[in-house]
Amino acid sequence: MAKDMTLWWGSGSPPCWRVLIALEEKKLQGYNQKLLSFEKGEHKSKEVMDVNPRGQLPAFKCGDIVINESYGACFFLESKFKSQGTKLIPDCAGSDNNCALIALIMQRVFEGNTLHQKMAEVFMYNWKVPENERHESAFERLKETLTTEVQMWEGYLKKTPGGFLAGENFSMADVIVFPSVALLLHMGLSEDKYPKLAEYYKKLQGRPSVKATWPPTWKETPGQEIFKDI
Amino acid sequence: MAKDMTLLWGSGSPPCWRIMIALEEKNLQGYNQKLLSFEKGEHKSKEVMDINPRGQLPAFKCGDVPVNESCAACFHLECKYKSQGTKLIPDCEAGLAQILQRVFEVNALVEKSSNVIYYNWKVPEGERHESAIKRNKEALTAEVKLWEGYLQKTSSGFLAGKNFSLADVIVFPAIAYLYRHGLSEERYPKLTEYYKNLMNRPSIKATWPPTWKETPGQDILKDI
Repeated sequence: MAKDMTLWWGSGSPPCWRVLIALEEKKLQGYNQKLLSFEKGEHKSKEVMDVNPRGQLPAFKCGDIVINESYGACFFLESKFKSQGTKLIPDCAGSDNNCALIALIMQRVFEGNTLHQKMAEVFMYNWKVPENERHESAFERLKETLTTEVQMWEGYLKKTPGGFLAGENFSMADVIVFPSVALLLHMGLSEDKYPKLAEYYKKLQGRPSVKATWPPTWKETPGQEIFKDI
Repeated sequence: MAKDMTLLWGSGSPPCWRIMIALEEKNLQGYNQKLLSFEKGEHKSKEVMDINPRGQLPAFKCGDVPVNESCAACFHLECKYKSQGTKLIPDCEAGLAQILQRVFEVNALVEKSSNVIYYNWKVPEGERHESAIKRNKEALTAEVKLWEGYLQKTSSGFLAGKNFSLADVIVFPAIAYLYRHGLSEERYPKLTEYYKNLMNRPSIKATWPPTWKETPGQDILKDI
């Protein structure tokens, strides 16, 4: 039941956003939630540490069950609420077509890690790396790595005419990866260089679960242009 | 069917090892496999690129369908072959949740290990800093202590719940990798117990990295 769930989250954080989208898609509106501020260090508060000893967001509880890893939470929600809301992963037992589709969804879901990690290395460079250890050459390299990765995803979208990451329907792949794609575009990724990604971003902006969970801080302030050179 | 599967792999690579353990646990011996060499750059060969455009190992095909991400392949195999071999994901909710939590935490462990073990490989000479090396080692130490703590809390000797599960399939190779690179057995008794116990599990014994049998490991992690 939604009322037995609690999510601690931060605005604009893709891992948090994944869980928010999953909750909407599975028709679990009414969950308890608390918006916290990374800038104010609230992710390290006792309230969060009690649920997530790593002091990270999202922190998520379903009754007594704790799942703080966003992928874990999304998979859990899909499994527990399989028969309600959107089917994010098709049933295993079934046609061979389903099997191939499930494999593609899982492939994209886990590749989403790679995309997010490379994006975070650029986005968080100055935050993670002390000033005396920063090098233009390192930052350039991280940007090049991200560029190659983003080009790969542009290519994936060229191959799926359905407009979603894995086939013709919205799936777990979109729950997991869209937030990272949105962060890229919100923070300056060139729509001209990556038309398919831009199209994907605009298409999903209109989806109810995405609209309902659009990061509040993004509505208030324009994004910075961190990814304009990618 | 195992005969319709193909795995291209490299010895000692935790992601490759995960899939191999999963295949053994699900009684899917008989899959086609090819051992390749990272040193010789064979992971960038056409044969690999045809299955995995990222030029990475593992490259894994289930029939015509490529599933190169190791965790994706493991989930997929468990799902497709649910009724054969070891049950890697239990039916109960609490069990599932704990497995999912541990499975996805492996990312943190792998990233922090990598930052120490591969520092010189990843970072050009002109960009290296003692302060960074120290910080990476401290981060890895904190991470390893966390996993030692997880094992202190489970009396079963497995990472999640009472039985061997998908959490062990996915995380064990990363832990074995730490010991291969010199992690202190005395400092982390629960992890060591876990490592030594699972070394004897048939699926793990059968898939132990061949190069690890031939050559001694390194000791980069001895101060962790």
